[in-house]
Amino acid sequence: MSLCQNRLQEERKQWRRDHPFGFYARPVKNANGVLDLKVWECGIPGKEKTPWEGGLFKLTMTFPDEYPTKPPKCKFTPPLFHPNVYPSGTVCLSILNEEEAWKPAITIKQILLGIQDLLNDPNPDSPAQAEAYNMYKKDRVQYERKIRQIVRENPAP
Amino acid sequence: MADSAMEQLPLPTSLAEVESLIRALYQPNPPETITKIQEVLQRLQRSPEGWQLAQSLISHREDNIRFYAALTLIVKINRDSAGLSEEDTSSLLQNIISWTIQSLADGAAPFVTKKLCTALVTFFIHFSHLWPHCVRHFLYCLDLGRGTPVEGLDDALTTEILVSKLDRKKLSAAVWFITSLVEEVGKTDMSAPKFIQVHERLIKTGPDVTCLLARAFNPPEDNPAIKTQGEALACFQAWILYAQRASPNVELVTPLRQLVGPAMNCLADPDLFQPAAELFSDVLSNYSSFFTEEHYNTLASLFESPWAAEHYQRLLHGNHHEDGISFGLLMLAYGDAKVQDLMHGTDARSQGFLEKLTGLLAADGYLVADDTVFVPALEFWSTFIETMVDNIYSDEEDTESWKPLAERHLKAVILNSWRKIQWPPAEVFAEWDSTERTAFNDARKDVSDMLQSVFTLEGSSLVSFFADLFLRVLPTQNWAELEAAAFCLGALADCISEDARNDHVLSNVFSSPFFQLLGQAHGPIPLRLRQTGLALIEKYCEYFERNAQYLPDALNLLFGALGDPVLGGPCARSISTLCSSCRSILTGEAGAFINHYKTIRGSQVLDSLAEERIVQSIASIVQAIKEEGHRLDMFEELYNFLKKDFELAIQLQAQPNILNLSHPDFLRGLETPHPPAVPSAEEIALHIALRSLRCLASMAKGMQDVKEHPIDLDSEPAPHDPNSRLSRLQADIMRVLAGVQSAFGASGEAVEIICNIFRAGFSETEPGPFVFHPDVVTDYFVQQRYETPRIGTLLSTVCSYVGSLYRGPKALVPPQLTRLLPWVISIIQGMPDPDSDTEIAVNGINFVEKVISKYPEILFNAQPSQLIEFFFLFTLKVLDGTEPLPKNAAAEFWANFISLKPSNPALEQAIASAMTHLGPLVARSLMRNIGGHAARSELDRLCEPLKKLVVLRPEAQAWLEQALLEGQACWPGCERVALEDGRAFLRKVIALRGARTTNQVVREFWLACRGSNFAYAS
Repeated sequence: MSLCQNRLQEERKQWRRDHPFGFYARPVKNANGVLDLKVWECGIPGKEKTPWEGGLFKLTMTFPDEYPTKPPKCKFTPPLFHPNVYPSGTVCLSILNEEEAWKPAITIKQILLGIQDLLNDPNPDSPAQAEAYNMYKKDRVQYERKIRQIVRENPAP
Repeated sequence: MADSAMEQLPLPTSLAEVESLIRALYQPNPPETITKIQEVLQRLQRSPEGWQLAQSLISHREDNIRFYAALTLIVKINRDSAGLSEEDTSSLLQNIISWTIQSLADGAAPFVTKKLCTALVTFFIHFSHLWPHCVRHFLYCLDLGRGTPVEGLDDALTTEILVSKLDRKKLSAAVWFITSLVEEVGKTDMSAPKFIQVHERLIKTGPDVTCLLARAFNPPEDNPAIKTQGEALACFQAWILYAQRASPNVELVTPLRQLVGPAMNCLADPDLFQPAAELFSDVLSNYSSFFTEEHYNTLASLFESPWAAEHYQRLLHGNHHEDGISFGLLMLAYGDAKVQDLMHGTDARSQGFLEKLTGLLAADGYLVADDTVFVPALEFWSTFIETMVDNIYSDEEDTESWKPLAERHLKAVILNSWRKIQWPPAEVFAEWDSTERTAFNDARKDVSDMLQSVFTLEGSSLVSFFADLFLRVLPTQNWAELEAAAFCLGALADCISEDARNDHVLSNVFSSPFFQLLGQAHGPIPLRLRQTGLALIEKYCEYFERNAQYLPDALNLLFGALGDPVLGGPCARSISTLCSSCRSILTGEAGAFINHYKTIRGSQVLDSLAEERIVQSIASIVQAIKEEGHRLDMFEELYNFLKKDFELAIQLQAQPNILNLSHPDFLRGLETPHPPAVPSAEEIALHIALRSLRCLASMAKGMQDVKEHPIDLDSEPAPHDPNSRLSRLQADIMRVLAGVQSAFGASGEAVEIICNIFRAGFSETEPGPFVFHPDVVTDYFVQQRYETPRIGTLLSTVCSYVGSLYRGPKALVPPQLTRLLPWVISIIQGMPDPDSDTEIAVNGINFVEKVISKYPEILFNAQPSQLIEFFFLFTLKVLDGTEPLPKNAAAEFWANFISLKPSNPALEQAIASAMTHLGPLVARSLMRNIGGHAARSELDRLCEPLKKLVVLRPEAQAWLEQALLEGQACWPGCERVALEDGRAFLRKVIALRGARTTNQVVREFWLACRGSNFAYAS
């Protein structure tokens, strides 16, 4: 089995054994019902005591053949209103960037927790969409109202 | 810093002072005091007197002081031992060994002896070449009762004999030493040249370590109070962990394997069971190849022993919180390690073991709160099922021999899981904390995943199984069982929903009396079961599409439950899923559903999200009505509810005194059903308007066609009849929107929702109430001003609008662009500076880029002509700015502008003349960015216009060179990079002719400008 597959098997084992509350992460199934380890469906809950609390945001994680040398791509489906999420839904985060802070030792759990942190703690230095970035910078009250609206549309079960 | 330096304690002048400082260090004291004491003691430790200090205090009668002396030794070896002569080093070793042995003899606390052992290990890490046989030598000294020179080892007895002579106390100390040895050496980098030999020597101690541990597992009878076995287990585990890291290394693994038997014997000792079970579970899970087949056989027979049977029964019927589940985890770890063998094994032993593992899913007590073994056991079974799937789909073998046996176990797994996920009575659930509740729900999700994997193997028979179970349980009215059966059936929906083969089975379920009971709001069915039952309808949406006869009943059921505070939300979701996908079957129900909606609105205030979904659902049915007159009738009936809301909102805003909070129409304006304070009439008016605007946006979404229609771009646009019924309706909607915006235009949300209403029409190709004529849409936009809230969002909507125009008849496009372009640029002109509003800048530039991509002449013909000039200069300012998103957009704009291919001579002339003026400016901006101004992440985007410039403009080299010569005024990097290097860079870029390597060359130059060590000599 390739390094990528081995590592993903191990990640799955680790995730099953221990994962943070309210999150989910599982490989998708192909037409035969066999797992495709290189594409995972995940859910990230908003953190308690932040405007994101109560929401659950769906994300697809796609692993390249070169994983874990290269990082997975994380994409919110549907795209999320957030300064560091591209209009396509792709998350812009240093630990997911091969040229920045990605390290092969970073686990799926760490990635998901990192993205959860990012939700309420956006990085204004690397904006990825104009709409959320502009509102975040110019009208924080309106921004938080909008977040609460998004949470209502994506409620945690 | 200066202050704290002044407050430093002076160095002690006598040993007595040092002692009292150490005493004070271990006493409760304020943190500042402790810090100060630590600081002075550290200074002392690090001074040349440190060795002396350690030696003087190492035999002190007080343990803390002795401990500190041992610590000092470690500090000195780590910091100051490099300068010691070989002779001094040897006697240092002898001394530490002697002190360690002495600490045993004079009753020092174990933490002192352990610290001394660590000092020995520190010595080994630094001087392993002087002490290669450290374990054997230490044992030899223990036997002698003092430290001796390493050379004396030649005359020593065999390790076995040395070990056999140790009493329990010395044995314990020896185990402490080898534990610390493997842990501390293990922390160093195995591949670092400095440590390679340390690790090699450590590995060579394997046989001595094994010999010692064998004795520790079977100690002499002299002092039963000292339990060496527990320490031996911990030590053994540390060595296995190390062996795994160092593997493959037979030299170490082979001797260590001899200890598996003695370690296994510890399982039978009640005091040692826990750590022993943990050791075996850990190694089975993480390093299963450590054990040999023989070991596995021994474990397997152990699991068949009466001892195991007793543990197993206690696990099934005992208290997991008090007794723990170590035995269960051990079984599961064994199962995990041998899953292939167990699955293929048709022998009684394998089968018996698997049967016991299915039993772990049926322990007493409720999930997670009482039964903690279910979740790990389910994890094993999920692995087992995945292994089966892998084996069966890899079709490499004959599955007939083992598959039926494995399937028998799966049946038990499924039944046990179904029992386990049943909800407890409400009073039990109420006692659980939030963690237990979440964990219970998580476990249900795990079961649902597991069932989906089983479906891969078993297919439809699994569906029939749960359908039968459901129908069998129904008459017994055991609601918890019924709920669990419905839940499991729902879990399979994703696997079969598109497959009609199971429909007859599902029909038995959906036509059962259960769904009549479900409709009764105060019927016998408890809330959770109602939830699961209604969710089942949503999950099998495709079934209802195929079996329309059941659909109206199902929907009426859902509408009936809409008002329920808990069920309302999920019901609205189910209704919208069903209505959207079954719209064409449901067209006859449109009137009935609108009446449902009317009734609910008249009596209560729905959750606003639920209401939006309902309105969208009904609109999607309306959309599917074929006959236009009827379609518009239904549309207007629904739309009129919202129109009345808007009228009320505007009226309330004008006359706050009409507010009547006992009427549902006004209550709709409360953001939360029970606000802490009643909001003002103005706020209520605004929220009535926003809520209904959102509903209108949902209607617009519902009215979107799900079918794709072909479009002929060259066709004549359909004639626009302003007097048609549809046109009049559209005009009315536009009037309402304008009215709402003029009343509530200060709300950015209102503007945003209006944009969404427009967007819903943009994607449509067939006429509809929200598919406005382009003139109408353009009219709306050009009336907006820079001050309009969310003007940036409006611009982004305009970009989508242009996209939709491009997908329609060509003839309609130029007039709209000609009107929109000056307006967009006027909005950009409203900004005080280019970086002040990212959204306006990005969308404004994107708009113009869209225009030039198809109709560049519109840009050059724009009136007044100063507008374009302003726009070009604006994009250059953006390029020189620091906002990444507008900068990206501007870079993309210029890349496209430079590559424009004019279609006629007049345009060619216009572009050429523009480039003569602008080319040098673009080159200057690019040079400025690449020469150090840009952020690293912007470089790739900035390379695009650069490459186009180089390929397409012969003057590029001159322009870039001119910018280069400007020096500091243009590019910040010129402080660091010589002009000649800059020229070399330009020559490279020009020579590359736009090739992809340009990006790399640019990156290197940028790095040099930013101050990395880089020369352009080559």
